[in-house]
Amino acid sequence: MPNSAGIVLAGGRSSRMGTPKAALEWHGSTLLRRTAGILSRVTDGPVVVVRAPGQPLPALPPAVEIADDPLEGLGPVQGLAAGLAAVAGRAEIAFVCSTDLPFLHPAFARRVLRAAADGADVALPIARGHPQPLAAAYRTSLAPAAARLVREQRLRPAFLFDECRVARLDEAALREDPILAALDPDLDSVVNVNEPADYAEARARPAPQVTIQRFGTLADGHRGPQQVRAATVAAAAGAAGLALDRHVVAALNGDQITRDGDVPLATGDTVFFLAADAGG
Amino acid sequence: MTAGGYFGRALVVDAGSAAAEVLPLGDDVLRAYIGGAGLGTWLLHRLAPPGTDPLAPEAPLAFVFSPLVGTPLTTSAKFAVVAKSPLTGMLNDALSSSHFAISGKLTGNDAIVLRGACPRPSALLIDGDGARLADAADLSGLPAAEAERRLRERLGRGWRIAAIGPAGERGVRYATISHDGRHAGRGGLGAVLGAKRIKAVAVRAAAKVASADPEAVLAAARDLRARSFGPATAKYRELGTLANLLAFNAISTLPTRNFQAATFAEAPQLAAEELAQLRTVTRSSCASCTIGCEHIYAARGGKRARVEYENVFALGPMCGVSDPDAVLAASGRCDELGLDTISAGGTIAWAMECAERGLIDAPWLRFGDAGAVLRALDEIGARQGLGELLAEGTRRAAGRVGGGSAAFALHVKGLELPGYEPRTMQAMALGLAVNSRGADHNRSGAYEADLSGDHDRLAGGDAHVAAAVETEDRAAVMDSLILCKFLRGVFSDPFTEWAALLAAVTGWDTTGAELRETASRIVLAKRAFNIREGWRPEDDWLPERLLSEPLEVASGRVARLTPDRLRGMIDGYYAARGLDRAGRPDPAALNALQLS
Repeated sequence: MPNSAGIVLAGGRSSRMGTPKAALEWHGSTLLRRTAGILSRVTDGPVVVVRAPGQPLPALPPAVEIADDPLEGLGPVQGLAAGLAAVAGRAEIAFVCSTDLPFLHPAFARRVLRAAADGADVALPIARGHPQPLAAAYRTSLAPAAARLVREQRLRPAFLFDECRVARLDEAALREDPILAALDPDLDSVVNVNEPADYAEARARPAPQVTIQRFGTLADGHRGPQQVRAATVAAAAGAAGLALDRHVVAALNGDQITRDGDVPLATGDTVFFLAADAGG
Repeated sequence: MTAGGYFGRALVVDAGSAAAEVLPLGDDVLRAYIGGAGLGTWLLHRLAPPGTDPLAPEAPLAFVFSPLVGTPLTTSAKFAVVAKSPLTGMLNDALSSSHFAISGKLTGNDAIVLRGACPRPSALLIDGDGARLADAADLSGLPAAEAERRLRERLGRGWRIAAIGPAGERGVRYATISHDGRHAGRGGLGAVLGAKRIKAVAVRAAAKVASADPEAVLAAARDLRARSFGPATAKYRELGTLANLLAFNAISTLPTRNFQAATFAEAPQLAAEELAQLRTVTRSSCASCTIGCEHIYAARGGKRARVEYENVFALGPMCGVSDPDAVLAASGRCDELGLDTISAGGTIAWAMECAERGLIDAPWLRFGDAGAVLRALDEIGARQGLGELLAEGTRRAAGRVGGGSAAFALHVKGLELPGYEPRTMQAMALGLAVNSRGADHNRSGAYEADLSGDHDRLAGGDAHVAAAVETEDRAAVMDSLILCKFLRGVFSDPFTEWAALLAAVTGWDTTGAELRETASRIVLAKRAFNIREGWRPEDDWLPERLLSEPLEVASGRVARLTPDRLRGMIDGYYAARGLDRAGRPDPAALNALQLS
């Protein structure tokens, strides 16, 4: 069984924003595509988006699953219950977050997942002055407990925390991870956008700073690493004067190969561009 | 009537007397196996006595041409050398490209098969007058290129010559057959020719072969030529295959120090991007090729060296050597001796690790020591000193040395691994494990899938199985038509496009679907030959190191190829190929191969 899954709760009403937050644009992508993509990068199991019944969603990669929340408007515990049920039996723990985290960094999710893997039922960050139940890790075996709380109309995450082992991660604990401390020192990972002003502020921030490197004939005189700002692989390719196609692929941090230009990037990422044909 | 593109016959020559007989090749056989590797497989089934020692006189060695040879289609001047490998004991087809292919076919034969052995060092000459032997005692011990030059001077214009170097004469189990600087490199077929005491085979064109639809062939040739200048071949054209090195290093797929690592810190010193600027002398092409992947670099001492990824990988990072002059010198030495660079580098790297662990008494043989690599190559080529052991390849050498050294002898079926790290390319891992030739990147090609971005290259599964089957099928057809694999990226609907090329040349109504069946037939026929020759289920497996030592990639993720995961992929492959759980075809499938 894969160790970790990702759950994005997209079914909120976005009433303060006045428009569905999932579809809001951020540096060439949508908030939902970005959040789901970040979770795809850090988990080895399924990534599930939980939506309200019939809720339209922006485009997502084929591998991302969609689960309908059967009861609309009951809040995060209901979404949590639906999401955990969707991944139960396929992963031991899940990083659960809302859709509106434009600065969510993979290193943050990894740090929190590691804390849950150490034995807790919930790894709950306490960052920027608040507990962050919608940027936290949950053991998937909590699915029945969450469903029961919904049936009992006890709809606050705190009720769930009362029933299980919670590892609380304050900012110091989070920053013990040197990678997270270096790449997201202010823990902007938990900054969400609830109102138009928040969104405007988020959009005003530049895209993440990433490193690109072109290999072989793609280098075209630009050998060696280069710093650019790009929120997606496609944007990074564009900065390199390239387009991903059947002949050109990208490798993110030396790991997965992709032709999907919508894969989100985060500060500190390195994107290699190489020829798809490796005949030797 | 024989189809266009063929003569409908193979010439079977006794190397001891040059007596030749004609083996008719009917349209049914040609259509079922096409040519090159496919037809060579059929010929081996037909002509190799079961259980024959590959170095025994009765073991056949076939030069097999193909229907596209002699057409203006780019990259078509290729041929296969097919025999039972002295390295693996399995069927081995090694491809090469040059005018030898054209002249060999235009002797009037779709294949030339050698059997028997000569009492003294000789050259075998074949043209329109048949076959005859010429004394070649004066060529003994010479590098293949020099032997080729001297024999050409003696024979005069019009002759094309394939020859072996000293390694082939001395039975090094990974000796090559070469001509015009190109090698039929893998599996030790140079030793098979050497065992027959044939230093060189010379061919001279004497016939013409027609295409069924010359205008269609010409139009296809123009189209293919134009496409060969596009982005699909840019890598080969502009930097050559060595362009892989730095990219592979970045994604942890560059085998280093006998697969103890997948990155090499000094890789930039050996990179094409670096060497091309500093050392490029010229670029050249095989006969009838418009890609031009050969990049000729300046080497120490005013020499020139052909540089390819595999020889730099095997003689550089695999042995821990980072000095480009040393790697080019070692590569040149392999050319002179007639050694497969991949097996040579792999065997030396294994020996370096043995020396490091105190399993062999060779304190001079250390990772990173360029001089040691050159010394080892010379000893292998001469079968002297440590070379007597290393000339046998890693599998046999590990069997003799023992001490657990088999666990880090990086071979499959006895063939040393190429420069693709299976733990971080898990479709390729399957391809290497199950391929009939052994650990070979040209008969599997599953690395294409690993670099496609379509699935997780670090976690093999069902998708990887399908990809490995598909790429193996494609390779089977390309190796039989024959077209260069560097052209594969220009085809968007390959089986259909290849069928159209074959139809234009032969006049057959071949379809893409038929070619897919042909591919499966060829793959199965190779497996059937191996089973006949003693293949066991455990031969479809990977070396222990790859299954027990995980690798960490740059992202921090750990690449782990477990025995269970590999077993699962192999089971899936067997199911996809219609084999039983032990990897064997059923009798009905064997009967359908038309081998008898």
